Amino acid sequence: MSSRIVALRMEHIDKSFAGIPVLKDVSFEIYKGEVHALMGENGAGKSTLIKILTGIYSKDNGRILLNGQEVKITSRTDAKRNGISVIYQELSLIPTLSVTQNILLGDEICKKGIVDGKAMRKRVMEIMDTYSLHVNPDAIVETLSIAQRQMVEILKALAFQSSVIIMDEPTSSLSTSETELLLKIIRSLSRQGVSILYISHRLEEVYEVSDRLTVLKDGVKVAVLEKEEIEPKKVIELMIGKGIDETVVEAEMRKSCQPVVLELKNLSKKDVFEDVSFSAHRGEVLGISGLVGSGRTELLRCIYGIDRLDNGQVIFEGQVMKSNVSHNIREGFGFVPEDRRKQGFVPMLSVCKNIALVSYDNIKRRGPFVAGKEEMSLSRQGIEKLDIRPNNPHLPVGNLSGGNQQKVVLGKWMVRDLKLLLIDEPTVGIDVGVKEELYKFIEALAAGGSTVLIVTSDLKELLRVSHRIIVMRKGKIFKEFNTGSVTQENVLEAASGIEKECAADE
Amino acid sequence: MKQDTIRKFVSLGLLLILLVVFSLTSEYFLTPANIFTLLREASIIGIVSIGVTFCIITAGTDFSTGANVALVSMICANFLYYTGLPVFIVLLIGVLSGAAAGCVNGFLVARLRLPDFIATLSTQGVFRGLTFVFAIRSATGVISNKVITNPDFLLLNGDIGGLYYSTIAFFVLAVIGQLVLKRTKLGTYTYAVGADRKASEFSGINIGRVKIAAFLISGICSAVGGIFLFAKLGSAIPDLGIGLEFDVIAAVVVGGCAFSGGRGDVFGSVLGSVFLVVLVNGLYKLQMHVSYQLIIKGAIIILMTIFDSVYMDLMSKYSRGKSPRAGEAVSGGAQ
Repeated sequence: MSSRIVALRMEHIDKSFAGIPVLKDVSFEIYKGEVHALMGENGAGKSTLIKILTGIYSKDNGRILLNGQEVKITSRTDAKRNGISVIYQELSLIPTLSVTQNILLGDEICKKGIVDGKAMRKRVMEIMDTYSLHVNPDAIVETLSIAQRQMVEILKALAFQSSVIIMDEPTSSLSTSETELLLKIIRSLSRQGVSILYISHRLEEVYEVSDRLTVLKDGVKVAVLEKEEIEPKKVIELMIGKGIDETVVEAEMRKSCQPVVLELKNLSKKDVFEDVSFSAHRGEVLGISGLVGSGRTELLRCIYGIDRLDNGQVIFEGQVMKSNVSHNIREGFGFVPEDRRKQGFVPMLSVCKNIALVSYDNIKRRGPFVAGKEEMSLSRQGIEKLDIRPNNPHLPVGNLSGGNQQKVVLGKWMVRDLKLLLIDEPTVGIDVGVKEELYKFIEALAAGGSTVLIVTSDLKELLRVSHRIIVMRKGKIFKEFNTGSVTQENVLEAASGIEKECAADE
Repeated sequence: MKQDTIRKFVSLGLLLILLVVFSLTSEYFLTPANIFTLLREASIIGIVSIGVTFCIITAGTDFSTGANVALVSMICANFLYYTGLPVFIVLLIGVLSGAAAGCVNGFLVARLRLPDFIATLSTQGVFRGLTFVFAIRSATGVISNKVITNPDFLLLNGDIGGLYYSTIAFFVLAVIGQLVLKRTKLGTYTYAVGADRKASEFSGINIGRVKIAAFLISGICSAVGGIFLFAKLGSAIPDLGIGLEFDVIAAVVVGGCAFSGGRGDVFGSVLGSVFLVVLVNGLYKLQMHVSYQLIIKGAIIILMTIFDSVYMDLMSKYSRGKSPRAGEAVSGGAQ
């Protein structure tokens, strides 16, 4: 960062919704070729700021300057034309079109109205070469992995000659190695003069990749830190505004004195996992780690009973379980899926209905009718237990923030007599404050005698909540750790295959 | 593209099976005369299905085609019956009214944001009603099916060496339709909108315009189909084309368009149309009652939809299994 040319400057931005200020006099700037992290809790104003920058919201006050010139951005097309692109959390690619078609979507090269496929392909190859980012230009997007799709998304931004690329939680669905790759690409882009505004809840990667960092809190810019000043604890304190107690890993090894509740015997599912056996104890939080594609999510789904096993037995409290979700729920199973939006809750239904959804067997009925009062009191229990905000049971869950939505998903299990909770990536896209709360719930649940199986890509989280860690690789159990002695590096090495034993199997 | 190619072989295979079965069971089946008749029958469903293919690829549908066919032929009949306008002007008016009907659908869906299903089901009623309003009546006000004797018009019913004009029009329109779909911006956008509406919006595609274009194309195709059907019958009856939309949708689905959008193409629908007509013709030759034909057609839509979803699942599993890890296929940005 020797030459500091300001690429983008936002000056004195104000924005309020229905009289409630969301951004108050926020100014900030990104240098050319800089990776700039934007940090803040949910509701701090990050997304509003980005939406103003990309023309989705209009600002009440303030100016946006690109390369020193004031620009008016009132639509996404304006933003694009000015070289500002966003890589979204949900990707914006067309699954059935090819990589080339996607990269140049909306900007096709035509000869007399007929699309010139060859010229388009050539243009795409040129862009790929310029930034040394290669994906097969003829591949249909739906056959690509999420990480590859993200590359396509980035290439799409580059094709529009974006000078500023905004990345909103780009790593939320990437595995560790894919994340590494993305960070590499980000650094290479920044070397080529592209400025990157980086937003992520995964603090470590933010520290690793950013040149500078701006912290927002309650709509106000509280700090801009230079690379040397970036320090995890400091950033978290700035974001939350209070010191969080870092009594991170309490090495309670309850394993020795508690009975086995769940026993898996030789579970197999063709092409996904093979011969998986382990057992979990009462009150234990068992972390399952592994790269995306190692079979961990599928394993969890099979234990829950939503997918069928090809082979093996799930034994719960001495009873062999079948692939029957409603039966398993009655036995005390709970499941918090990875994709909470699609599988975890029904966005149109209220908090109350969502919490009651799996508990209608417990709710009294008057003839054929559900007793509304019972339903309501059950949901109030859930809201109270998990401190769901706002605490209005009538609100559709779709309107809550990500963190609170996840609390609803947890809440519907917490109001039941839960014996085994299966959680998949519980804190993706959730801010630090709520994360900590969720960990506390998991701990409380375990302390109350429930067993928890948790799948997560976030190693810090894995070490934070689990008592024991099982590492899966290519559908098999590769290693087991007890927390206390283990480090993130140990888990990562086991999961990614840096450990020698398996190096030669391909 | 590979998945689509395999899917097309499935349609082709189904068609071949039918051909083999029927030619074994009926000696009249594989005669040149019957083949030309089959192709002519297929051309009506086929021409209409070209337009509906566009609608279904945008994750929509068009239920108004049968009524649109009737409306266009009735309008043409009125002009031929009451005026002395040259035939090509009448045909132009016919095509324009079909296009207008398509635009109404497009307007309802794109601007008033009605679901495709509701919009086209309602206009189906409206178009059919209008057809009755425009029906040619006798002096006592009773609807009378006047036979059109205009020789220029009836030329449309002709053939070249047994190959009917409607069949030729069908193939020409199919090639044009396929080119539009695969080789123009509009085509790319049609797939994009159907496969992922939100992503298309984010890519700056005007979704409304694409939807309107799809309905416009569907309206024009219905008009052309309607004109040929009218020429074949020689008189316009208000009941013309009842249930045609059902056959057309069946053909498009057999041809590999998914109702979820973003998949399929015109050539698939061509195969589907021929398949459907061969099926009906064969069942007829086997002296099976119309009621069974309807049941079988309904069952085919259901089975093909199930097949496609199972097939898609399999394909995505297969390709996911084969697609290499990101790190291997994508060379990193920096060393």
